Amino acid sequence: MDISAPNRELRYLTGRKLAVFLAAADRIIPAFDSLPSGGTMTTAQVVDWALERMEPGLRKRFLALLTVMEIMGVAFGARPFSKNSAKARDRQLAWMESGPSLMRMGFFGLKNYACLGYYTREAVWKAIGYAGPARPDRQYPDTVIRALCRAEAEVAP
Amino acid sequence: MTRTMELDAVIIGSGAGGGTVAERLAPLAEAGARIAVLEEGHHFPLAYFTQREVEMMGLFRYGGGWPIKDGSITLAAGRGLGGSTLVYTGVTFRLPDAVCEKWGVPGLTPKDLAPRFERLEKDLSVIVPGDDMVNDNNRLFAEACETLGWEVKKIPLNLSGCEQEGFCNLGCATGAKQGAMAVQLPRAQKAGVVLVPNCRVEKIGRGKVSAKVSEPPPGTVPGPWEPGEVEISAKRIVCAAGSPATPGLLLAAGLEKELPALGRYFTLHPAMTLYGVMPHPIKNYQGFPKTYYTPRFSQTHHFYLETAFYYPFVSTKHLGLWGEDLARIMTRYANFMTVIALNHDPASEKNRIRLSRKGEVIMDYTIAKESVESLAHAQVAATRLFIAAGCREMVMPMAKKPVFTPADAGDKSLEEFISPKRFLPIKTPLSSAHPQGGCRMGAGPEDSVTDPWGKVHGREDLYVADASLFPQSSAVNPYLTVMALADRVGQKLVESADSWG
Repeated sequence: MDISAPNRELRYLTGRKLAVFLAAADRIIPAFDSLPSGGTMTTAQVVDWALERMEPGLRKRFLALLTVMEIMGVAFGARPFSKNSAKARDRQLAWMESGPSLMRMGFFGLKNYACLGYYTREAVWKAIGYAGPARPDRQYPDTVIRALCRAEAEVAP
Repeated sequence: MTRTMELDAVIIGSGAGGGTVAERLAPLAEAGARIAVLEEGHHFPLAYFTQREVEMMGLFRYGGGWPIKDGSITLAAGRGLGGSTLVYTGVTFRLPDAVCEKWGVPGLTPKDLAPRFERLEKDLSVIVPGDDMVNDNNRLFAEACETLGWEVKKIPLNLSGCEQEGFCNLGCATGAKQGAMAVQLPRAQKAGVVLVPNCRVEKIGRGKVSAKVSEPPPGTVPGPWEPGEVEISAKRIVCAAGSPATPGLLLAAGLEKELPALGRYFTLHPAMTLYGVMPHPIKNYQGFPKTYYTPRFSQTHHFYLETAFYYPFVSTKHLGLWGEDLARIMTRYANFMTVIALNHDPASEKNRIRLSRKGEVIMDYTIAKESVESLAHAQVAATRLFIAAGCREMVMPMAKKPVFTPADAGDKSLEEFISPKRFLPIKTPLSSAHPQGGCRMGAGPEDSVTDPWGKVHGREDLYVADASLFPQSSAVNPYLTVMALADRVGQKLVESADSWG
């Protein structure tokens, strides 16, 4: 399956935030059978597109969460979240899922965005047995998201 | 520069309520009255509906995940010309007589509502779906209910020429769904009512509406008004923006002091979508998604169990899983059997709409203990149903083990295995598509916001015509009740037109 990254410049998931997001998505949706994990640039590209359309206040909080997660990583694996082992990241994510309500909200948002970036892609649909739209060729005004979900755009260097 | 205009009536919102009032006022428009329907969302043509989740997020407020204050429930609320009728499945239930009587609104009786329901059902082409519309998920649901001895019924639907593509919740690509955009709004427009998409109402005052019109996004139909700010003088204002937006508008107008019930008694019809995994693909994404329900638990446990279908991404929200559990179970997506449990939540004064310091609408709602218990029982019932249908695995967020086989739960009672004690707000996935209340109808201003005809107490110019009128939960899917109440509002407006001034 094609998990290459279409060539759209990321606007929100950049630098450390991108690393945190990818490290989290990798554990929220781990590789299974023939399916790759969620921690790929293709997932990040779709999420970044969605973040651009997110209500600004919510987007700000989401991006702040990634920074907080990175710092808190030391409490779960002695290193920042993005550099921790898979087990340590799982411990931190499990704590967030059942922890204080702000952390639960953060985890909920993070999980939803990872899943949005993953389960809206045609290659994933095929692998999970979803046939997709009854009218697959119907055009959408924003061609970028269609290309991202079809993984048709150019491969980033 | 702010433009000014004078109108006879302004309807804020274009969904089940606003659309119905607009149609009711059509004779006045034909006679020359200047009437406009203001809609914050866009005018989506049928060609816009691509049946893809990520592309259709713009049909919903907050992309379909509008959170309540504590984040424990997210709302899917339509945002476009047609309101939530753009994205509903068309489930057409009459308000049960018992609920109507329990509401206790003077003059609002089953006898008053019956002819309205009858007329609306005819207008909306409501049908009882034939067996040719029953896909495998629905067939298995009906058969399992029969095996368990549960009453099972067909769901009435408002459809005309449905091609059963199964994407109702992402906008009907063929126009078969007979919502406000297909029925009431075109009739109103033909009579001269002006439909204004991309028009966000910022504030209402006495006979005044402040609004802002924005540019139409690509692919949508431009409205008749140029972008910019508009100050409207109107003899009558009808708020039909839905709950919680309508209570929010009234709160922003400063009416809370005179109307202490304003914003209160907000209910959400909290829902859980529940999944079983069949041993073979049933492809619930093919065919019409919703044709059966069981009323078996409505009286005893306060929930309805209906068939359901959701696309992959939304399904991941409902499953409440992550890690290997999620990745593995999603590879069985084509095998999913899906139901939704809708709880009739109690109306509490404490559950309310309020405004933030910035003026944003906040849904301050705490789920009641009895609702959590009801939804736990719904998971027990769904498990029994899935096992009876032949499912090999179930996903129940309040179970001791969220993904389990019939054998996992076999050594103890299901009521112990699935327990309300395991409910944890936010972690336990809850959703809502039926927010109600906040401007409840009633006899007087001490405990209600409007009179039984939707007129705001103490105001001649201001009406409400949407689900925020409900004094308590409707128990059933609410759109037909919204239309019937809006029909009453429209009737009252027409009858009083000579006194508009």
